[in-house]
Amino acid sequence: MENLKLEATKYTPEISLDASGTVSLTGKSYPENTFEFYAPMMAWLEEYFAGNAVEKTTINMEIIYFNSSSSKLFFDFFDLLEDNQEDHKIEINWIFDKENESAQEAGEDFIEDFEALNINLVAK
Amino acid sequence: MEEYENKLIAEIEILRDNFIKTTEKLIKDVKRQDKIMLRSDKRQQQEYDELQRKFDEVAILQREIEDTQREVVFTMGAIGESRSKETGNHVRRVAQYSKIFALHYGMDEKEAEMLKQASPMHDIGKVAIPDAVLNKPGKFDEVERKIMDTHAELGYEMLKMSNRPLLKMAATVAYEHHEKWNGTGYPNQLKGEEIHIYGRITAMADVFDALGSDRVYKKSWDDEKIFSFFKEERGEHFDPKLVDIFFENLNEFLAVRDSLKDVSL
Repeated sequence: MENLKLEATKYTPEISLDASGTVSLTGKSYPENTFEFYAPMMAWLEEYFAGNAVEKTTINMEIIYFNSSSSKLFFDFFDLLEDNQEDHKIEINWIFDKENESAQEAGEDFIEDFEALNINLVAK
Repeated sequence: MEEYENKLIAEIEILRDNFIKTTEKLIKDVKRQDKIMLRSDKRQQQEYDELQRKFDEVAILQREIEDTQREVVFTMGAIGESRSKETGNHVRRVAQYSKIFALHYGMDEKEAEMLKQASPMHDIGKVAIPDAVLNKPGKFDEVERKIMDTHAELGYEMLKMSNRPLLKMAATVAYEHHEKWNGTGYPNQLKGEEIHIYGRITAMADVFDALGSDRVYKKSWDDEKIFSFFKEERGEHFDPKLVDIFFENLNEFLAVRDSLKDVSL
């Protein structure tokens, strides 16, 4: 399965989907058309978990700012991970700058909402 | 018939189950949506507060920069004036007169305020005139006069390299404040509107104040003498339009002079 990489823009994060088991989202997320923007990522993940996943998948999310539709998208993203939780080993690192209180709170909220997922808060 | 009814019930039961599943999902989605909105609102509030705080900080810094610039420029002007044995209030008055001229001439408030700040630097070139010339008692001979007159160009040379609009304006003021409307001034014998309006205004403001002030080497002129001088020099030394502005708004100029009197020398 091919890797997918999207460079960061002013409004969107860098996205790196590596078939060897690492998924990274880094930067800001407030695109104009959030669901359209993330569609290729979601499609890649569907395909990945449908028989292409390696033993352990690590998700690194370092999102310093996101809008409400990105928030909704992240819920969908975590739903997808949760659906695959039983059959795959998935670890999520929510990475935030220790100065960035709202990024930390967002991570804490996701942990609360997705109890089944293995989400680590990683302060840098 | 009975069988048919049972089948219908079974279908309705499936429908009911689906309906329950769907409504549960809908409820979950709506709850989630509410949660997202609530959190987004909270985050937006925090972020907007943070932005607001930073904007305030920037505004304070901006003011600080402007105040510093104003102070530096004013001090430079005062240095120039102190070399010409004039008082600190001379600089202040020239500044105010220049702004009055500028506004009546038709400049907007921003440009007039800039000229107010730039005009006091007109004599900054005097810092480079040797003391022996500058402090000479009595009249200059021809060579000394020539040296003295270089202060206009020297001031321009000092300021022209700057990219700051205010200092650029001050460079023009320094360079052209001794030009005369009839082309007999220095350093470039510019004529009429060849002389930048900033130079024409500062010339008028500077001379008006110099004539009305006591100096160690001369007594101040009385107002009648000053007024007839300006009438004579209308279209000669000075831009006729500025002379007209001066007489039409005399009260404003005199009010400034009264409010910024020199303590006696």
